[in-house]
Amino acid sequence: MICFNEINKWYGSYHALIDINAEVKKGEVVVVCGPSGSGKSTLIRTVNRLEEIKSGQLLFDGSDIHAPMTSMALNRLRSRIGFVFQSFNLFPHLSVLENIMMSPMRVRGVNRSDAKAKAQQLLDRVGLSNKAGAYPAQLSGGQQQRVAIARALAMEPPAMLFDEPTSALDPEMVGEVLSVMRSLANDGMTMMCVTHEMNFAREVADQIWFMDAGRILETATPKEFFGNPQHPRAKRFLSDLRAH
Amino acid sequence: MIDLYNILRDNWLLLLVGQYPNGPMGGIVCTLVLSVLGIALAFPLSVLLALARLSPWRVLRWPTTGLIYVVRGVPLLMVILWVYFLVPLLIGRNVSGFTTMLCTLVLYEGAYLSEVVRAGIQALPRGQLEAARALGNSYLGAMWSVILPQALYNMLPSLLSQFVSAIKETTLGYVINVQELTFAANQINNQLLTKPFHVFFILAVTYYVVCYSLTQLAQWLERRVMRKRQGQLGTAPAPLPPVAAAAET
Amino acid sequence: MKNFDLMAILLNAEFGAMLLKGVRMTLQIAAGSWLLAMTLALVLLIVRLMPSRIAERAVGAYVSYHRNVPTLVQLMLWYFGISSLLPDALQGWLSEHNGEALFAIVALGLCQAAYFSEDLRSGLRSIPDGQTEAARALGHSYLSAMRYVILPQAVRNAVPALVNHSVSLFKNSSLAMAIGVAELTHAVKEIESQSFRTFEAYLVATLVYLGFSLLIMSAGAWLSKRYSIAGAR
Repeated sequence: MICFNEINKWYGSYHALIDINAEVKKGEVVVVCGPSGSGKSTLIRTVNRLEEIKSGQLLFDGSDIHAPMTSMALNRLRSRIGFVFQSFNLFPHLSVLENIMMSPMRVRGVNRSDAKAKAQQLLDRVGLSNKAGAYPAQLSGGQQQRVAIARALAMEPPAMLFDEPTSALDPEMVGEVLSVMRSLANDGMTMMCVTHEMNFAREVADQIWFMDAGRILETATPKEFFGNPQHPRAKRFLSDLRAH
Repeated sequence: MIDLYNILRDNWLLLLVGQYPNGPMGGIVCTLVLSVLGIALAFPLSVLLALARLSPWRVLRWPTTGLIYVVRGVPLLMVILWVYFLVPLLIGRNVSGFTTMLCTLVLYEGAYLSEVVRAGIQALPRGQLEAARALGNSYLGAMWSVILPQALYNMLPSLLSQFVSAIKETTLGYVINVQELTFAANQINNQLLTKPFHVFFILAVTYYVVCYSLTQLAQWLERRVMRKRQGQLGTAPAPLPPVAAAAET
Repeated sequence: MKNFDLMAILLNAEFGAMLLKGVRMTLQIAAGSWLLAMTLALVLLIVRLMPSRIAERAVGAYVSYHRNVPTLVQLMLWYFGISSLLPDALQGWLSEHNGEALFAIVALGLCQAAYFSEDLRSGLRSIPDGQTEAARALGHSYLSAMRYVILPQAVRNAVPALVNHSVSLFKNSSLAMAIGVAELTHAVKEIESQSFRTFEAYLVATLVYLGFSLLIMSAGAWLSKRYSIAGAR
């Protein structure tokens, strides 16, 4: 579903992504982890072209995302990729329901009543049925992030990207967001998550990609990764995690 | 273009000093003198008004707030008319247009400046006043030696931009025959009659050059003050009212 | 002050009529220039958003001119200066059809457009980048993101400054008196010269101006509350 072929990216002279080769298959859940500054966020943001690449090929469901294309074509591609941000980025001037409904209506041309019904359905799915009329500023962080997930799902994307979805949350709210993500995974959604939540990774991921300094140093199943990490850097990372 | 040069060459003295020495000082010198005096005299008034607005005594706060709201809610032209009418009544004899304009500026700028001063005082961390009181100073003593000096330094850029506003406000002196720059330009136009665009273009450019330079100076000052404040507080300081948010005419 | 008699003005048919005419002219000038200013400010904003350095510089120059040249001088430049450059036929038509009021509206409108556009620009800049990213990530085009996400927020953020400048615009209508427009301040001066009831005349005008200023500010406060982003700081 998502293929990274020899991806390289520079910020000026800083080589941010180095020779990335990897694949997220349909229905897979991939967790990308690693120390900060390793390029994890940069990598996931290249998938929907929020970041550009210098060389290589990035295929999403067969389409080359970074090929030269009209902005209309790019917008259409982006609408098929769900993206959840670390800072939620809900639209503060719209109610929760409107946040979810707005894009199917304005980008896809879905009519209002269909969009509204679907939005309510998605709100039920993330456990916030009674918050339809509330505004983002009135919700807790965990609730806002769940709305953000519903908003992304409203576009019916074949794959969802999560950029550190729980890093900005207070610890007691992390669980509610992770359980939504877990249920998505159980329903067979293709997911790529950048996260520090190792328990989530252990339980839900099909693959773990360990990154450091712009490279993917190790790809393994959770069992392999947590039980018997190969790369010395990965070993050090895991032991640092366990230390606290 | 030749016309512009000719008009300037023939009339620069009038634009600069008006009909002096055959009449009162006028032109751009009058404009600047009026503005400088206006701000200089308005400033102490504004500090008093600001302190009154921030004071814990309602008998001071309410009338002051009322006065400021009235002066700010009424066009400058109306304030000029009021002053032109009331001042001779109050002091028992006629006053020149220049004096009227000066009094108006002091009152008008005093009201607007007092808001700037108030914001400047309120932008200081509360700890300053608390520390001063804890050391045994009275409220007024703390204001005088601790709060005001700091607030006033921080306010220098805003003060300068209010000065620019005052320069723009002096143009209304034209309506009561104060011999400032706009009046001089109108005199030239009434003599020449055939080149109104050129005359007023020169007028506009003159004001632009003066006000723009002063505004740039104010922005440079603001950067310097921000740097010093960041050093003082150690963290990002509370934002002051933006330099250009002065009364505009 | 002897014989303070407000009613002498208000009840006198002739003076009352003059006052009403003056108020009406003031409102017409204020409304006309406000509409011009708002429309032009939106155009300037759109021009500013274009990825062209010339556009940025042009708008910057426009704003700089209108903020550094006194409004009265701008008015004079239009009414005395630019009108003389117009073709004679047009000048003739204008002097018969209330040209002064028209020039006042144009001059005041263009001047306030500069301030309004700066307010909108500040409103725009106060929106975090994440909003644009989220909109683009969902598949919105640049225009769609602007229309449904960015601009609604920018305008809401700009409302307090826009209201303040609207009050300034209203007060600036009095400047039209200097080019002979029969608005409120002009009417009041006329009444004063005819009746010598200076104090009463000035008081009426002051109250009218104060009243409208308060009205505009309350409307702004109501607008702000109604459309404020619920729960926002």
